[in-house]
Amino acid sequence: MTDTPLDFGDPADLDRLRREFRAWLAEHPLPERQSGEPVPVFLRRWHRLLHSGGWVGLDVPERYGGRGLTALHQVAISDELGACRAPGVPRIGYLAHALLEFGSEEQRLRFLPRMLAGDEVWCQGFSEPGAGSDLAGMSTFAERHDDHYTVRGQKLWTSYAQYSGLCLLLARTDRAAPAHKSISAFVLPLDRPGVTVRPLRAANGDDEFCELFLDDVRIEESERIGAEGVGWALAMTTVSYERNALDTGHISKYGLLVERLRRHAAEHQGGLPDGLLSRIGRCVVDYEVLVAHARRRTAERLAGQVAGPESSVDKLLMTRTEQRLYDTALEVFPAELSGEGGELFGDYLYSRAASVYGGTSQIQRNIIAKRILHLPSNG
Amino acid sequence: MDREEFVLVRDMVRSLATRFGVTSADEVKPSTRTAAQQALDELGLADLRRTSPPAATAQECALLAEEHGRHPLTTSLLGTVLLAPELLRLLGDDTSRSTPTIALTRELRFPGRTPPDLVAWDSEGADSALRVTAEGAVTRVRLGSAAPSTDLVRSVRAVPSDAPVEVVGRLDPPDLLRWQAYALVVVTAELVGAAGSFVEQAVEYARVRRQYGQAIGSFQAVQHLLADATVLVEACTSVTRYAAWCLDNEPPERALTAARVAKAEVNSSALEAVYAGMQVFGGIAQTWEHIAHLYLRKVRLGATLLATTDELLAALAVPEVTR
Ligand SMILES: Cc1cc2nc3c(=O)[nH]c(=O)nc-3n(C[C@H](O)[C@H](O)[C@H](O)COP(=O)(O)OP(=O)(O)OC[C@H]3O[C@@H](n4cnc5c(N)ncnc54)[C@H](O)[C@@H]3O)c2cc1C
Repeated sequence: MTDTPLDFGDPADLDRLRREFRAWLAEHPLPERQSGEPVPVFLRRWHRLLHSGGWVGLDVPERYGGRGLTALHQVAISDELGACRAPGVPRIGYLAHALLEFGSEEQRLRFLPRMLAGDEVWCQGFSEPGAGSDLAGMSTFAERHDDHYTVRGQKLWTSYAQYSGLCLLLARTDRAAPAHKSISAFVLPLDRPGVTVRPLRAANGDDEFCELFLDDVRIEESERIGAEGVGWALAMTTVSYERNALDTGHISKYGLLVERLRRHAAEHQGGLPDGLLSRIGRCVVDYEVLVAHARRRTAERLAGQVAGPESSVDKLLMTRTEQRLYDTALEVFPAELSGEGGELFGDYLYSRAASVYGGTSQIQRNIIAKRILHLPSNG
Repeated sequence: MDREEFVLVRDMVRSLATRFGVTSADEVKPSTRTAAQQALDELGLADLRRTSPPAATAQECALLAEEHGRHPLTTSLLGTVLLAPELLRLLGDDTSRSTPTIALTRELRFPGRTPPDLVAWDSEGADSALRVTAEGAVTRVRLGSAAPSTDLVRSVRAVPSDAPVEVVGRLDPPDLLRWQAYALVVVTAELVGAAGSFVEQAVEYARVRRQYGQAIGSFQAVQHLLADATVLVEACTSVTRYAAWCLDNEPPERALTAARVAKAEVNSSALEAVYAGMQVFGGIAQTWEHIAHLYLRKVRLGATLLATTDELLAALAVPEVTR
C-alpha cells in the first residue's frame, strides 16, 4: 500500500475508451433474457456479444485473446457497463489471473482465448464438505501414475458447474505433507468419465452451486497447472483476485442498481419517506468508494504490487457495498417484498452470500489481523 | 514534483511532527503553538501551491495534509500553507506578501451570500483570513481574538464583524468549483491521516498490552475490531486519494463530486475507526492525558467541517446532470 502519489490513468484516454464503448453499445442492443432462460445461459450470450466487440479481458495480453490494455481500462468499462444498464461483465478475471501466473505457455495459449471468448466456461472446484473456511483440510486425492493421476473425492458449492465445461480443480497429491506443499491444481474437463455434477438449489431458487463427485477420474499430467504441490499458492492467488470487485465484475452489477435508485430519487425527491434519500446517498457513496478503491488497487498493481492479503480489505468493502445496497433497494421498492418476491428480492437473498463465498467475512478479518496487522496468535 | 522530491518534502513534515507533535492535551500552550508554527514556516512550504503552475500537485498536497493529520500537531499547515495560497493562485495574485488563512462561518461552512459571523479557521501564524462568498468574491478580513475550538490542537480566531474588508478578487465559476473541491479534499485528507494513525497506534498497543496472560491482540474479538477499523481507513484512503487525483486531472464538476463522496465516506468511517481504536485502548483512552481524545476531537469536529454527512448524502442521492 503506497503512500506516494498514484497514477489513475490518462482521463482523456479512458474517456475515449468509454465513448468508443458507448458507441458500440448503441449499435449492439442489449440481449433480452428469454422466458425460462437460465441466467448463466443468458449471461453467456451477453459474454459472447461483448467479446465480439473486444470488450472482454481488456488487460489480458493480445496473444491470449485480450486487448493488451491496462487494468484501469477494465475498471472504466466495468463502471460504464453499470451506468449503461447492461448485464454484468463476465466474471473471469480471477481465473484468468490464475492461468496467467501459473499455467505453462502452452496452457495459456490453449485456454485463455477460449475462456475470454466465452467458448469455454470454467468453474472453481476448491471447497469440500469438510473443507470450507479451512481449505487446507481438503481430502480429495489425486494419485500419481506414470503420466496421469486418478482423482477421488467430493467438491461442494462449485458455482455453475452444470453450465461449465472445465473446472479449476484442487486436489492433494501428497497425503502426508502440510497443505502449502501437498496440494496441486488441475484443469478438469467435466465430461470425463467418473465425474458427476449434481446441482443444489440456492435460497433464491436459482440453481447456482453444485456438488461434484469424482470417482477415479483420470487427469493427464499435462492437465496439471504448475508444478506438483503449487496448488496452495495458486489457490491463494486465485482467491486474492476473486476478492477484488474489479476481477469479479461486481462493479457493473452494483452500478446498475445504484443508477436505478438514483433515478427513483430524482423522480420522487419530495415524496420519499424520511431518511430514504440519505440511504440512497449512502449507496452512491459506497459504490463510488468501491470504484475508487478498485482504481487504487489497480494503480498499485500497475506500479508492480502483486495481489496479496490486502484483497481481504477489498472483499469486506465489496460485501459492505452489496449488502447495504440490496437492503436499501428493498426499502425503496417495497413491492419487491410482496408475493413470491421479484428478481430484486432474489438478488437481495444472494447478497447475504457475499459474506460467505470467496472466504467468509470472519476469515477476511483473520487474514487482515494476521497478515496485514501482524497481530499475535492466540495461546 | 518528481517522486524523490515529494518524498523529501513529506519527510520534512514527518520530522517536524516528531519534534513538535504534542503527546498530551497539557502540552497545547500558546508558546508551543508558536514554536511549532515557526518551524513549519521555515520549511517554506507555502510556495507549494502559490505559483502557477503549482510546484506541487493537488494529490501531493493531499498526501501532505494526510501526513499532517497523523500527528497531533498545532501547526496550521492546512490554512496557511495549502488552502489560502491556492486561493491566491487561482486569483492570479502573486503580489501578496502576507500570510492569510481562510475564513469560514461559525458553523465551519463555506460562507454564503451575505456572510454572517466568521472565524479564521486554522489560524496559527496567519495575519489575515480570506473569505470566499457563494458568488466567488474573495475578500481579506482582519483577525480578532482567539476563539475556542473543541479540536484542541487547531487554532481558530474570531473575525470582527465591523472590521473593514479589502477586496482581493473574484473566482470565475469553474475556479470556484475547483476551490471548493480542493478545500474539501485537503480537509478530508487530514482526517484520513488522523484516523489511520490512531488505528495504527491501537494495533501497536494490542501487541504489547497483556491481559489473561496474553497480548490482547491475540483475541479474535480484538483482531476483528481492528480489522474492521483497517477496512474503514483503507476505504477513506482510496476515496480521498482518488478525489485528490481528480483535482489535477478531471473537470471541476467531476472533481467536486469526487470530493463530496470522499468527505461523506470519511465523515462516518474515520469516526468509526477512531471509536474502534479507543475501544482497544480501553480505560486509558478515556483520560485527559491520553492522546486518544485529541484524535477523537479532530475527527468528530472534522465530520461536520465544510459539509455534514446528511447534507452530502442528500445531494449525492440524485443523479448528476452531466452524465
Ligand atoms: C453462493 C456461493 C458460491 C460459492 N461458490 C464456490 C465455488 O464456485 N467454488 C468453491 O470452491 N467454493 C464456493 N463456495 C464455497 C465458499 O467458499 C464456502 O462456503 C466458504 O468458504 C465457507 O465455508 P463453509 O460454507 O464450509 O462454512 P464454514 O467454514 O463451516 O463456516 C461456518 C461459520 O464459521 C465461521 N468460521 C469458520 N472458521 C472460522 C475461524 N477460523 N474464525 C472465525 N470464524 C470462523 C465462518 O466465518 C462461518 O460464519 C461458494 C459459496 C457460496 C455461498
